[in-house]
Amino acid sequence: MTISETRSISRQMTSQPDYLDLRRQDLNSTYRPQREWIEGRGILIVIAHFFAGIGAGAWIFSILFDYRVGEIMAVVSIGLSGLAHLAFLGRWQRFLRILARPNSSWVSRGMWGTLLYGIGALVYFLPGVRDTLMGSISLGISLFGVTLVLLCSGYVYSVSKAIPFWHTVLVPILYIAYGLRGGVALLLVAAVFGGSSLDIDTMETIKLWVLASTIVLILFYLIIANRSGGAASYSVHELVAGRISVAFYGGTIGIGILVPLALAIGREFGLAGMLTLGIIGFASLIGDFYVKYCVVKAGTYVPLGDAVGPVSPKIV
Amino acid sequence: MPSTASKPTANKDDVWIPSVCGMCYNQCGILAHRVDGTLVKIEGNPASPYGNGRLCARGLAGIQVLYDPHRVNYPLKRTNPNKGIGEDPRWQRIGWDEAMDIVVEKLAAVRDDDPDKLFMTGTVLSLAPLNHTLGTFMPAFGSSNILISDGHQCGNAEHILARTLHASVTTNPDVDYTNYLLLFGCQPGLGTYYAMTTMAQKIADARARGMKLVVVDPYLSTAAEKADEWVPIKPGSDGALACAMLNLLLNEYDIYDRGYLEHHTDAPYLVGTDGYYHRDTDTGKPMVWDLAAETARIFDDEDLVRPAIVGSFKLEAETFKPAFQMLKERVTKWTPELASEITTIPIDTIRRLAREFGEAAQVGSTIMIDGVELPFRPAATLYFKGAHGHDNAWPTSLAIELLCEVVGASNVPGGLLGTNPVAFGHPDTKLPRWQPKASKDGLIEAGTLGKNEPMGPSSNWPPEPTGADTASLIDLIGWPITTCTAPATLNDPENFPSITRPAVLLNYGSNLLMSAAQPEASFEAFKDAFVINVNIYSDETAEALADIVLPDTCYLERLDPVPNWLRHHHPVGLGDWGYQIRQPIVEPMYERRHFSEVMLEVSRRLGITETLNLATNLMYGLTAPQSLAADEDYTLEEIGDRIYQNWFGPEHGLDWFRKHGVLTWPKQVEEVYWKPFSVGRAQIYNEWVVRSGEKIKQIAEERSLPGIKTDGFVPLPDWWPCRAFDQRPGYDMQAIYYRVPWHSFSQTYSTPWLDEISQGEQYSYFICINTQTAATKGLNDNDLVRIVSADGGNVEGRLRLTQGVHPGVLAIANNGGHWAHGLPFAKGKGVFFNQLLPMDLEHMDLVSLTMDCDARVRIEKVGG
Amino acid sequence: MRLGMVIDLKRCIGCYGCQIACKAENGTRPGTTYARVLKREFGTYPNVKKQSLPLLCMHCGDAPCIEVCPTGASQKRSDGIVFIDADMCVGCRACMMACPYAARYFQDEERNYFGVGMAPTAYEVSRYQDHQSGVVEKCDFCRHRLDQDKEPACVANCMCKARIFGNLDDPESEVSRLIKEESGFQLNAEWGTDPSVYYLPAER
Ligand SMILES: Nc1nc2c(c(=O)[nH]1)N[C@H]1C(S)=C(S)[C@@H](COP(=O)(O)OP(=O)(O)OC[C@H]3O[C@@H](n4cnc5c(=O)[nH]c(N)nc54)[C@H](O)[C@@H]3O)O[C@H]1N2
Ligand SMILES: Nc1nc2c(c(=O)[nH]1)N[C@H]1C(S)=C(S)[C@@H](COP(=O)(O)OP(=O)(O)OC[C@H]3O[C@@H](n4cnc5c(=O)[nH]c(N)nc54)[C@H](O)[C@@H]3O)O[C@H]1N2
Ligand code: SF4
Ligand code: SF4
Ligand code: SF4
Ligand code: SF4
Ligand code: SF4
Ligand SMILES: [Mo]
Repeated sequence: MTISETRSISRQMTSQPDYLDLRRQDLNSTYRPQREWIEGRGILIVIAHFFAGIGAGAWIFSILFDYRVGEIMAVVSIGLSGLAHLAFLGRWQRFLRILARPNSSWVSRGMWGTLLYGIGALVYFLPGVRDTLMGSISLGISLFGVTLVLLCSGYVYSVSKAIPFWHTVLVPILYIAYGLRGGVALLLVAAVFGGSSLDIDTMETIKLWVLASTIVLILFYLIIANRSGGAASYSVHELVAGRISVAFYGGTIGIGILVPLALAIGREFGLAGMLTLGIIGFASLIGDFYVKYCVVKAGTYVPLGDAVGPVSPKIV
Repeated sequence: MPSTASKPTANKDDVWIPSVCGMCYNQCGILAHRVDGTLVKIEGNPASPYGNGRLCARGLAGIQVLYDPHRVNYPLKRTNPNKGIGEDPRWQRIGWDEAMDIVVEKLAAVRDDDPDKLFMTGTVLSLAPLNHTLGTFMPAFGSSNILISDGHQCGNAEHILARTLHASVTTNPDVDYTNYLLLFGCQPGLGTYYAMTTMAQKIADARARGMKLVVVDPYLSTAAEKADEWVPIKPGSDGALACAMLNLLLNEYDIYDRGYLEHHTDAPYLVGTDGYYHRDTDTGKPMVWDLAAETARIFDDEDLVRPAIVGSFKLEAETFKPAFQMLKERVTKWTPELASEITTIPIDTIRRLAREFGEAAQVGSTIMIDGVELPFRPAATLYFKGAHGHDNAWPTSLAIELLCEVVGASNVPGGLLGTNPVAFGHPDTKLPRWQPKASKDGLIEAGTLGKNEPMGPSSNWPPEPTGADTASLIDLIGWPITTCTAPATLNDPENFPSITRPAVLLNYGSNLLMSAAQPEASFEAFKDAFVINVNIYSDETAEALADIVLPDTCYLERLDPVPNWLRHHHPVGLGDWGYQIRQPIVEPMYERRHFSEVMLEVSRRLGITETLNLATNLMYGLTAPQSLAADEDYTLEEIGDRIYQNWFGPEHGLDWFRKHGVLTWPKQVEEVYWKPFSVGRAQIYNEWVVRSGEKIKQIAEERSLPGIKTDGFVPLPDWWPCRAFDQRPGYDMQAIYYRVPWHSFSQTYSTPWLDEISQGEQYSYFICINTQTAATKGLNDNDLVRIVSADGGNVEGRLRLTQGVHPGVLAIANNGGHWAHGLPFAKGKGVFFNQLLPMDLEHMDLVSLTMDCDARVRIEKVGG
Repeated sequence: MRLGMVIDLKRCIGCYGCQIACKAENGTRPGTTYARVLKREFGTYPNVKKQSLPLLCMHCGDAPCIEVCPTGASQKRSDGIVFIDADMCVGCRACMMACPYAARYFQDEERNYFGVGMAPTAYEVSRYQDHQSGVVEKCDFCRHRLDQDKEPACVANCMCKARIFGNLDDPESEVSRLIKEESGFQLNAEWGTDPSVYYLPAER
């Protein structure tokens, strides 16, 4: 063995940074990315919020259109969201503690939303309850629950003053919009596979409206964030030209917006068929996942350390 | 793998034990917390003047050395017959009996043949057992081939001047009073150096009180980070800056301390055109010119009224000049313009630094301290590794030192202090004590403790060059305190045919393959010797060279009586004296054994106990009834007990120290600021260098040793370029190393807490390059690059772009890039600088045996 | 009483001693550094300054970490110490998203210092008993030391005495005096977190 072979320095050190190395490097970087809610098991948080959003949207529209298959899908989605949450926490025996602080914590409120929704939906589904007063009350509770869920999943992020990209009311709005859009999309997919009584055209109109509004919202959000400077514009940079751009262009924009848009326009020009609809729905769902993935992943903390400088350098 | 061998006791064990840190040579006082047999925390010991209860990161992290699963736990024997760098030694675990049989047999054979064929080297990281063995075993064995942890990279040049100017081994600035501290390539109390933890407290106080800190350094080091002014300098050019400052002070600003120079230095001694002092023919004593009588007189003539320090005097047709006049003239060529060209420091800055320093010294002022009136010179310089680590070490160090000498800021309040050259001893016993005297020539004669005090200031000055048969050149150039020059001479049989070659190398810790220079050189020098490696790890040196490895205890598992050497790392300034004890916090784990105890047994089996006991008595100055009897075997505990009782009285024996950890008493003003009370003079004009140089030249000629060049043996400050200074075609940069406060050389790269610091900090595992320089070379941050040395050797690493480094310089931290199989945790972390440094006499300053520790290099991109 | 700390940037040399003093005191796991140091460069060569910034939990007067904690595990004592009750924490990490000072660390796996696959050392076996996994941890101003009348470990050990601990509510205390006389400031006061840790400027 030659000497230089025995000593291929730093290469080992920096080529395959593991979780700990990253954490150590992060602590010293100017723009520190949040990793806890995206990397490793952290992805479960995005999955949980994805299912919560589409489940809530689907529940609302299913009730609106009285669509049974959709109701079940909503229950399943929200259930999956709950499971993902539990899996993320790891210490599921203790998760009920999360209910302790609804007065100040959006995580707590979201948990209450899920719980209320669960109780409401459960009662609502009991045989013979649906058309009674009890049914209306439980429905009310479930709707209150999902609204809370819809609201909270965005607010959980937007309360973080430490992460300027999230710290705006646009995030909850975006989450609500995407939740509703995802709900419709879920129903579309359900309609394609589940067959249905659903008023497809109305659904599609709603879908188009929400699609349009999400496009506007996202643009608005990015422009505002980019103008906020510092960590927020760094986040935008990460999305449009950095670490997350593939997911952003491919997932959020490409699959999530352009594909549904193209197909929707295609339908106007005669590209008919349930399959197209299904694809629109499916693509929207993927887009819904990716928008959340991108927003969460782009979360970057306010820089520390610049506060003490620049100290006036002495002229030597 | 069992993680501890100490058994939990039935009763809950929960104790704090006073002891001493061993993560660098500073030996700070610690308190170790042991619970149920496990060391759970190390804190500073507030009772100890070594740190006053505050430790550096390394000291706190020592627990991880104790419990490191990669430690060597059993004696090991090499089974791979091939020695070599990167070779797997294929260690085989053997028993201690077998190991001792082998060691004793080998040593006995060498002793019968020629004791000088036993070489010993060691690491300053484990100072106490090293000093103990060097001072007792080696003389008892009869070998003088001692090479220590790379003195050629460490403090050799400074230690010489600490001896001749400050009667000590080293120096530290008196920051309790300094108003202006000018550092050349060192970081006292700012990350490194002697008495680090105490100096850190003192320097922080001084800076808070308004002391101005100026740091001359090519790299924006930890010290420079805190400086009021960072002065980036081209590596290897500090001497030019200091010479120019001397020139400005002496020839333009007229700032110097006439009184001090007259009385406390050889400034008035007349020097002839031959370069020697003008001496009285009868007494042989140096002469001075008496201005009153207009005649030459012996320097200590009672009739002398006022000696001249400037001018030129004719005596019997020959012209003589006072040493100070010689100095003045010598530095005239060092104009700020010339120095600026060499150092890359702006002319105005050089002028301003000289003026600021000179004015800050307040020549003529006095101060009352504890009722004693003393000269007050609140300006100090300090230099170490960075400034003197070049083959122009001697004249450079001299120039920087003389800045303090000419303004009288030497061993008086506010100036540069020798590290405790005067000790009156414990109030009860007046021991241990030492004090400088005046030599026959009136020059400083350092006091010593015992005769063999290792690494102490030598009292016999300068040792006479006698020959060139010792690999370390100790017979030729005998004054450097530590020398690891051996590879240079051993690898050059043509020039050094007659030197004793090593048959056995006893290596206590030193990882010389990594710390000396290019590892190939150290390997080559010792590959044919039987190598006994005593270490706590299987490091690069062990794996390439060792035939046998003995597992040492680490500092937390052993007893080291008197770990402190007060002229190395005891804080300067007023405060407390302190003697400590290092004692085991846990019993040695596995089969680790304390080296000092192993050597006692080896001595016994070699039958040299009698001389060993004698050497021990000499080294520690033991007198009856505590001196060791010739014909008795002593345990280390017994020896320790005798040393303590001898020095501090029967009530302060080993048991007292075990219980209390540290014995302190206050320093006196006359001990700390000793210069006004002392008769020995500091040397401005180094006649001894001229004399020794000529003798060495003569020996070199007689023996035809062309490698020994004596042009550098100059008596006065000067500057010439070091080897790495000038560009060579294609090689356009200089590479240097610097230390960080949380690593010691190469050893601490194995310590995870300290590694974690480096992983989070952005410089120390990288090669630092100036951002603008990188831009012109098309290099980016984090690029994988190769640095190729013009003198052979190359190394790879990743780039870090920074504004905090001289544009012509690549800066690398400490000594990383381990490759030993036995150091899996440290492997590949950081950059291995020393691969760029060749080991030969051409790259050395022969006066001090200091190596050029920077390299002329080019940089190549290897990958992104 | 409001306990607080002053960090004198003029005295601090950026030696990372506090990072290790805290590790040694609290026996924390790899990657967890309640006390840590940032280094930043300002300016261009040769007019450049490097500045070290020691950090720890700011024990915010208005602590966003407490506000977002869904379980009440993150709490504040009457003396201002913000701490986490590990038995209540579910590891949701909302507090980590809220803390702008990067003062919180999630204990994800039971890692050891000598690397993946290495058995814990005797030291680690002993010290990690005090740490749960799956929870968030942070600096608590060394509550246990304060109970024994000792200063926090990072304060007691700092070689430069750059860290001073005391009662911010007491105008006579050293911390209050330093803040007043030497223009102490809170790190990023504009975030509205009202830290109990103050800094003294690096340059006078
Ligand atoms: N933390 C820590 N402390 C230690 C040690 C350790 O390893 N780590 N080791 C101990 C030992 S054995 C020693 S010898 C001392 C060493 O103590 P110091 O001499 O203070 O050690 P360094 O940090 O290497 O200081 C060298 C400085 O000089 C700079 N430099 C390099 N070349 C030049 C040059 O040509 N001119 C100038 N002006 N500067 C230059 C480097 O950038 C660096 O900042 O520290 C002791 N204390
Ligand atoms: N690149 C670079 N080279 C340098 C320096 C630098 O800063 N950078 N510094 C130079 C200077 S000034 C010096 S003094 C030298 C120092 O050089 P060395 O003394 O060789 O220091 P290390 O390289 O740290 O190796 C120390 C060795 O001592 C062992 N050791 C530690 N504690 C004990 C113990 O208690 N018992 C035993 N038996 N062994 C122990 C360690 O395992 C390790 O193998 O390096 C010099 N070389
Ligand atoms: S300066 Fe040296 S002896 Fe003192 S605590 Fe640090 S490593 Fe230990
Ligand atoms: S220990 Fe003190 S001097 Fe060192 S980095 Fe921490 S605060 Fe600064
Ligand atoms: S620094 Fe962070 S963890 Fe500490 S109190 Fe403030 S917000 Fe909470
Ligand atoms: S991780 Fe623990 S302390 Fe943090 S918000 Fe969740 S429950 Fe509270
Ligand atoms: S106060 Fe205690 S817990 Fe907090 S950073 Fe300092 S040492 Fe660590
Ligand atoms: Mo050294």
